[in-house]
Amino acid sequence: MGKKVLVVDDDPDVRLFSVTVLEEHGYTPLEAADGVEGLKMIKDEKPDLVILDIMMPRQSGIRLYRELKTDKSLKNIQVIVLSGIAKRTFLRSQKALTDFGGPEVPEPEIYLEKPVEAEDLAKTIKGVIG
Amino acid sequence: MEIKKLLFVTKFEELGFDALQSLLSLRKAALNHVVFVNVIERDKVAMRRGTGYRKQEEIRLRETANIRFIDWAEDLYEQGMEVGVYIVVGSLVPEVIKAAQKEQADLIVIGRSHKSMLEQFYSGSDITELIRRTSIPVLVYKPMPENAFVLEKPFERPLLATDWSAADLRAVEYLKGLTDITQMIDVVHVASAKELTGSSAMEIQKTRKAKRQKLDEICDILEAAGTQARSHVYIGEPVEEIEKAAREHQATMIVLGSSAKPAWVEKWIGSIPKEIAEASIYPTLLIPPDQE
Repeated sequence: MGKKVLVVDDDPDVRLFSVTVLEEHGYTPLEAADGVEGLKMIKDEKPDLVILDIMMPRQSGIRLYRELKTDKSLKNIQVIVLSGIAKRTFLRSQKALTDFGGPEVPEPEIYLEKPVEAEDLAKTIKGVIG
Repeated sequence: MEIKKLLFVTKFEELGFDALQSLLSLRKAALNHVVFVNVIERDKVAMRRGTGYRKQEEIRLRETANIRFIDWAEDLYEQGMEVGVYIVVGSLVPEVIKAAQKEQADLIVIGRSHKSMLEQFYSGSDITELIRRTSIPVLVYKPMPENAFVLEKPFERPLLATDWSAADLRAVEYLKGLTDITQMIDVVHVASAKELTGSSAMEIQKTRKAKRQKLDEICDILEAAGTQARSHVYIGEPVEEIEKAAREHQATMIVLGSSAKPAWVEKWIGSIPKEIAEASIYPTLLIPPDQE
C-alpha cells in the first residue's frame, strides 16, 4: 500500500483530479470536503501528506493548517496548499491570527496556486514525501 | 445572542463587497466568520431542447462567482477573519437554509427579492419564505445609494418597531448583544387610530401613556445592557409610520420581529415586516419567533 495522502477540498472536481493523480502514482488517496471533516480524517488516519484547499465551508484551510501545526502529534504531517487564494494572503492571514494572540506557525512545505497541471502536482508530491 | 458567523447571500446584483464591508463593524461585537453563498438558479442551467443540461454555462457561472469570492475572501483573511463559501445550483431559499444550518450561522444577510408582483402573489417572496422556514435572524440589506444615503455603520442607530410579540422580544435580546456597536436605539410602537378612540383626550392620553410605559421597559432593558434607548409612540398605518419614525430619528436600520402568521393569512391580509423589508429604503433586520 502506498503512502497515504489526504485531499481536503470542497470542489469535487478538484478532489477527483487530485485523487486520480495520486492513484496513478501509487499513493493511497483519502478525501475530505471541508476543514472540519479534514481535521477529523487527519486525526483518524494520520496521512503522510495533506493537500489542502483554503476557502471551504465550515472551516477554512487557514484554520485547519493552524490546528495541524500546533498539535504535537500532527505537526510533522507535511502539507501542500493547493488553492485559488494567493500565498501572500495565506501568510498575512496567519500573521494577523498570530498578532491576535494565536501561536506562530511555520510556512507550509509547498504552496501551489490553482490550477495546477497533473504532472506538476505529481512531481511536487514526490518531492515532498517521495 | 452574539453574531459570530454571518451568511452573506449574494447574486452580485445588489449586494457587493461594499455592502459586506459596511457590516464589518459587527467585528466589534463578535463577528469573525463570513460565509458567502451564491445560488445559481436552476433555470439558468436547465435542460433546453437540443442542448440538454447546460454544463458549460454552470461552470462559467460557478467560476465567475468563485473569482469574485476569492477576491473578497483575500481581503477578509488578511484581517484575520475566517471565510467560507457555497456556490450551488438550486432554489435560493432551500439552499440558503441548508448552508445556514450546516454553518450554524447567527445572521443571514440577503438583498431584496427580485420576483415580480405576480410571482410573489402566487409563490410568496424569497424573504417571506426564508423567514418562515428559519429561526435565524434575517437582515434584508439595501446598501445602494438609491435614496441618497450610503450607510457606513448600519448598526449604529437601529430603530426597533415593536408590538410586544414573542419575536419582538427576541429582537430585544438580539440587540442586547450589539451594544458595542450601537450608539442609540429608538424603540417605536405604532398604535392604530382605532386603539385611541376614547371618549376624551384624557383617555387617549392614557392609552398613549400605557404604550409609552411598556416601551420604556424595553428601553430600560437595553440601557442596562449598555446602550442608550428612547421610546416613541406613533399613530396610524404601521408601514408608513415606521418608515416615518426611521426618517425622523435618523435610523440606520429597522429591526422587527417577523410574523408567525400562517402563509395563507399573510397572503390575504398582508404582513408588516414583509412590506417593510420589501419596500423600505432602510436595511431591515427581521427576527423570527423561536422555532421549536
